[in-house]
Order: sequence, then structure tokens, then C-alpha cells
Amino acid sequence: MATWTWFHRFASPPWVYGFAARWAPWFGAAAVLAMLFALYGGLILAPPDYQQKDAFRIVYIHAPVATLSLAVYSTMALAAAVGLIWRMKVAHAVAASCAPIGAWFTVATLATGMLWGKPMWGAYWVWDPRLTSELVLLFLYFGYMGLRAGIEDPQKADKASAVLAIVGAVNVPIIKYSVNWWNSLHQPATTKLLGEADMDWSMVWPLLLMLAAFFLYFGWVMLIRLRAELLRRERNASWVREVVT
Amino acid sequence: MSEFFAMSGYGKYIWPAFGIGFGIVVLIYVMAVSSLSAAKQEAKRRLEMNP
Repeated sequence: MATWTWFHRFASPPWVYGFAARWAPWFGAAAVLAMLFALYGGLILAPPDYQQKDAFRIVYIHAPVATLSLAVYSTMALAAAVGLIWRMKVAHAVAASCAPIGAWFTVATLATGMLWGKPMWGAYWVWDPRLTSELVLLFLYFGYMGLRAGIEDPQKADKASAVLAIVGAVNVPIIKYSVNWWNSLHQPATTKLLGEADMDWSMVWPLLLMLAAFFLYFGWVMLIRLRAELLRRERNASWVREVVT
Repeated sequence: MSEFFAMSGYGKYIWPAFGIGFGIVVLIYVMAVSSLSAAKQEAKRRLEMNP
């Protein structure tokens, strides 16, 4: 029984607040270290691509932020669903903490993609399915944050924004598979979860390390934001008195 | 060194991309820390008003 109930503590705001305070610095240190090694590997050790020359190095920032823009939305939608189904306040707090982080990752994805698109396609922006669906993702993040901010009652805000997050999740596979489903200027994925990558290992390892670094970084900043969110939501609870005094 | 920064002529795209990307990384962190700091201040203020 105990093995099935250990996760119940994740529903307790003071326990989660303490967990976030303990683990955030470790995530941060690991993220910074991994980013530095990945930058060294990507900018100095990796050879130029035979077609794109050095321009391909933009992949070491573009692919991680693009992956995170989708991963953060998926986390947000999943947390929103858990909050809606099991009425877990902590899950809604997780979803709310994810939104601004994911929105900024999406801005970074669009900006770095434009800077890669110009030398490769001759244009900063084209109304390509991948680019357009990524822009829709940014609007979904804005919509989620706007909806939360626009409803005064926190419970109603949680419910309404959760529904929007869950409905908007349909855009995640559209973004991911848009390059396969439609004719797209955007190149297909260069690394795969299963199977061989289309790039040489000397180019792949810095990319995988940078991806890991960005996931750790997301863990770091999300835990910091989650603590802030929990303090605001639980402002009248006795445990808040203990942690702020 | 100048060859490294030129990046075979693509430096004008590569460096702004990394600048924007890591600039946003720093910004997200700063915003998260300020949000936590503001939440703590707000909680303290409420406790002082309603001891």
C-alpha cells in the first residue's frame, strides 16, 4: 500500500514547497554545468556541416528551446488535467508556473528559428505549417495566462484555464508532426528517440547534452516559480507563516 | 579568433541567435526569482498586518 501512496505527498503544498526549495539549486547547478559543456561541444568541437556550414550551429540553441516549448506545454496540460480531475491545488499551481516559462521558450524558438531561416531559406518568416503552428502555441500560452489573470476567483480561474490548456494540447502533435504531414520548408527532426540520428555523433552529443541541460533548467525555474505560486495561493495557511518568518 | 566569430560568414545569424536564446534563459530565471521574492514580501506584509 505504501508504494502506491508515496505520491500523495505531492498534493501537500507545504511538502511540495520544501521539496522545491531543496531540489531547485541542484537542478540549477546541473543545468549550468551541462549548458557550458554543451556550448563548448557545439561551438568549438563539432565540425561544420557539409551543406549548412557553420550556420547549423544554431541547432544547439534552437532545437532545445523548441523542444522545451512543447514539453512545457505538455507538462502544463497534464498538470491542468490532474488538477481538474483530482482537484489538486498543487497541480494547478504547477500548470500556472509552467505558462510564462513556456511562453518565453516559444518566443526564443520563433526568434532563433527566424535567424536560422534567413540564411537557409532567404526569409526570416514564411507561413510554413511548423512556424505557423508554433506561433499558435505562443497564442495558446498568452490565452492561458490572460484567462487566469482575467478571472478573480482562483478556483474558477484554475478550472477555465485548465480546460483551455487541455484543449490546446491538440496543437502539440500538430507542431511535432507538421514537417511529416505537410510539405514544409522546415527540416525534419535530426535526432530521434529510437533509431539513428541523421547527424554525426560529434555533432549529436552536444545537442543531446544541451537538451538535457534545458530540461534541468526548466526543472530549476519551474520549482522557483512553483514556490512563489504556492505562497500566493496558501497565503492564509499556517505553514506560510513558518516559511516566511 | 576572428575566424571563429565570423563562423564562415554566418556569425551575424549565429551570435544573435545564441544571444537571444541565452538572454531569454537569464530573463526567465530573473523573473522567477523576482516572483518568489515578491510572494515572500507579500506574505510577510500580510502576516504583519494580521499577526
